[in-house]
Amino acid sequence: MTISAEREREVAYPDPTPPSVGWFQGLPARPGWLSQHLGTAIIGAVLGYLLGHWLGNVVASGYTNVANSGVNAIANTGGIALGALGWLAGIGAINYPLAKIIGKEPAPEFETTSWSRYFRYTADHKVVGMQYVIGVLTFLFTAGLLAMAIRTELLSPSSHVFGPGTYISIVSEHGTMMMMMATSVVVGPLGNWLIPLMIGARRTAFPRVEAFSFWIFSAGYLTILTALPYGGFPTGWTGYAPLQTQAGGGMISYLAGFALIGLGMMAAGFNLGVTIINYRAPGMTWSRVPIFVWAILSTCALLTLATPTLVAAGLFGILDHTAQTAFFVTEHGGSSYLWQNLFWFFGHPEVYIMALPGFGIVAEILPVFTRKPLFAYKVAAAGMLGVALLSFFVWQHHLFQSGINPDMRPLFMLTTELISIPTGFIFLVGMGTLYKAKIRFEVPMLFALAVFFNFLIGGVTGVFLSDVPVNVTVHGSFFVLSHFHYTIMGGLIFAFFGGLYFWLPKMTGKTMNKKLGQIHFWFMFIFFNFTFFPMFLIGLLGQPRRVFEYAQNLQTLNDISSISAFILGASFLVFIANFVWSIFIKPTPSPANPWDSLGLEWQTANPVPYYNFERIPVVLNDPYHYSEHDAAAVADMGDPVLVGAVAPTGDGGGDTTGDDPVTPAE
Amino acid sequence: MTDITSARPVTDFSDTPEEREFELRAAVGSYWTGGRLFIGMFTFLLASEAFAYFYLRSSNNGQLWRPGNVTAPTGIGWAIYSVVLASAVIAIFGQTRLRKGYVLDWEVAGWTAVLGGLLAIGLQIWQLTELPFFPGSSGYASCFIGWAVMNIVMILGGTYWMETAVARSLRMRSITTGDGPDQLVVARSLRMQSITTGDGPDQLVVARSLRMRSITTGDGPDQLSSTPSGQIFRANVSACTYFWGFMAVGSTLFWVMFYLI
Repeated sequence: MTISAEREREVAYPDPTPPSVGWFQGLPARPGWLSQHLGTAIIGAVLGYLLGHWLGNVVASGYTNVANSGVNAIANTGGIALGALGWLAGIGAINYPLAKIIGKEPAPEFETTSWSRYFRYTADHKVVGMQYVIGVLTFLFTAGLLAMAIRTELLSPSSHVFGPGTYISIVSEHGTMMMMMATSVVVGPLGNWLIPLMIGARRTAFPRVEAFSFWIFSAGYLTILTALPYGGFPTGWTGYAPLQTQAGGGMISYLAGFALIGLGMMAAGFNLGVTIINYRAPGMTWSRVPIFVWAILSTCALLTLATPTLVAAGLFGILDHTAQTAFFVTEHGGSSYLWQNLFWFFGHPEVYIMALPGFGIVAEILPVFTRKPLFAYKVAAAGMLGVALLSFFVWQHHLFQSGINPDMRPLFMLTTELISIPTGFIFLVGMGTLYKAKIRFEVPMLFALAVFFNFLIGGVTGVFLSDVPVNVTVHGSFFVLSHFHYTIMGGLIFAFFGGLYFWLPKMTGKTMNKKLGQIHFWFMFIFFNFTFFPMFLIGLLGQPRRVFEYAQNLQTLNDISSISAFILGASFLVFIANFVWSIFIKPTPSPANPWDSLGLEWQTANPVPYYNFERIPVVLNDPYHYSEHDAAAVADMGDPVLVGAVAPTGDGGGDTTGDDPVTPAE
Repeated sequence: MTDITSARPVTDFSDTPEEREFELRAAVGSYWTGGRLFIGMFTFLLASEAFAYFYLRSSNNGQLWRPGNVTAPTGIGWAIYSVVLASAVIAIFGQTRLRKGYVLDWEVAGWTAVLGGLLAIGLQIWQLTELPFFPGSSGYASCFIGWAVMNIVMILGGTYWMETAVARSLRMRSITTGDGPDQLVVARSLRMQSITTGDGPDQLVVARSLRMRSITTGDGPDQLSSTPSGQIFRANVSACTYFWGFMAVGSTLFWVMFYLI
């Protein structure tokens, strides 16, 4: 037998008789309930929490100041830390890191189509992506329920459902959970699932780091949930000192939860960034990279470089509570402003961590439903990089009202206004693509168009807010609240749902019900605006954020907002119903390429094989040449029959049957 | 709308020599990029600590930045810094030897760096028990505690990275110099993992290479340097060494901040 012939035989997949690799690498990775999965993770988390809490009590038992305070932050921290470790150990995340110490290789993982793979630690980026879908939706709906509670309280200016302490705890929990969720809402589900497919890769660069990012993200979710039984925290999502240093046990959950989520963000950004740089298929030059990939790459830069500051700030906060340091205690040589600086050095790039992926989704959807090339592709990519870069230079505008040197205000006002320029680039790219287009109003396109409407309002009010005089006037009011809900929910969450409706047929192989999707969209769009637009007025009329009472004359506007919020919340039930109905109860197989997209992710088999592509594709063109009859094929997929089988270009672009494959350009 | 539900059936996985070459370059590049990005992440982490240091120093709230010019135990601080610096130099020296093909030299240097790292961590923990100030007594004290925690995490990370690299090197040596069915099982394990876990087709080639070698020639570890796995291994060592260099630079800066100025 020749070597080459043997090689072909050797690499045939799968091998039916995998070898044993020893006890040290943990339980077998085979499917089955005796191996590691979500159940063992829960057991590990509970045991870890109990052990950590007990250890914390033992360590702190000799200190009278702890005994007298009524809050043992050391026990809380120990419980959360070992709980998170137990969670990771239970799911199998530390098997390989431990085995590596003695030089062992990772335990083999077996491809399975069983649904149980979604409850395991896996190296398959598509499974991790779907885990993230469920994870972020759980996050979103939990925080959404808290939003309903807030709006219930604000139905009346003086009759209360909650006390002031409970109210601020709910507000804080809602804001923190939403922000945590929003940092990963696109990068996690769609980034992990789609990026390797979009760049023609068979894998991500560090698949175990990718899996780690999800499971630490979910540990962060559980951690922030523990804030409520610990009594909540009064700081809102920003965690400002000195309230932070005076707060009770819930504050530890906030600090540790944010730090855990931060680790997950860094891991996700690290893996996807390295993957994009190194695993692009041959021919996938930077000028051919899909615009969504540019958005994720820009986001990855922010995730990996800005988030460590959040982790450091969280560490300092935890040290203040446990080791009794005084980072944020002004009376002991620290400074409460230090927290604000560290937090917002992360926090403002975070705004773009949330915005950029949304822009990427929309820019990906528009050409498909307008059957036009993406207008000014390079300007869009440059805009995303420009936003990412400038976002590091604007954080002090959050401190305009907090004691910043007045001489510094114009500088940060300028940098903040400057960032609207690359943002405007991206907006204009969308407008240029829509110009004179014959739009197909499918559900994803409806969401994409809504993003432009909503983000226009959010963006313009953001320019106002960057100006010091306006900022001083409306600081801490519902105006600010409405502004960032328009940008984050109106931009990112609408884009996320647009992306879900667009890519779920590929991800699940099932078709979402169009009628239910339209109902979801219209209810969400209309009542999102009815919920948040009145808040601009409420804010201008003087109602502050995070206060559970307000002036009588504002009740009508608040009631409009509250009732709309309830209907907005109900619109998500329509999505859940659609998802459950279309995917599980009455699944309808999806066409391989339901939207006739030219994107590389649509060109591989459906369902997508474990290794994505039978042959690594050779990319020949960017995926936006819709309606151009003489355009070269997007990729050579390596199969003679399918060499030119790029997606047909629908009503504007030639062949629609696939019988006449386009020959790739030489 | 394309009226099909599956473009083509899921087929067995295999790859061509060109695809292996592509995957190998991607894997090597990933270590290069990942190593630098990892340093970037730590840079921002340490920059946060440095920002806290200078912010509180310049604020000097209540004249409590550093009352009485109190300093953390200088002798232990010197010792930690010296050990980290020496370990980093040894790691860098080891890598230069590895590039020239002296695997054993690198392994010795690697183990030395690992021991140095562990010693530095031990010293850092000991120093925390010997502090002449209460953690919350001043801005300096707080920053020092923060730095000590970060330093432990950083050194622990670098030490773990180096240890796993050396351990892998030793294990590969034992695989390739030994004979008998055990080696075949491990080689086969490598092959399986590369196929199933996405750990890289590069491993595929080395697994086969190792297996063929153990069956036929019994060549030694020197041959490894030319294999794809050897290239990835060197990329990993290079990134790890780079990180050790970064640790040395970071330690120097913070040593100056906490003990000199």
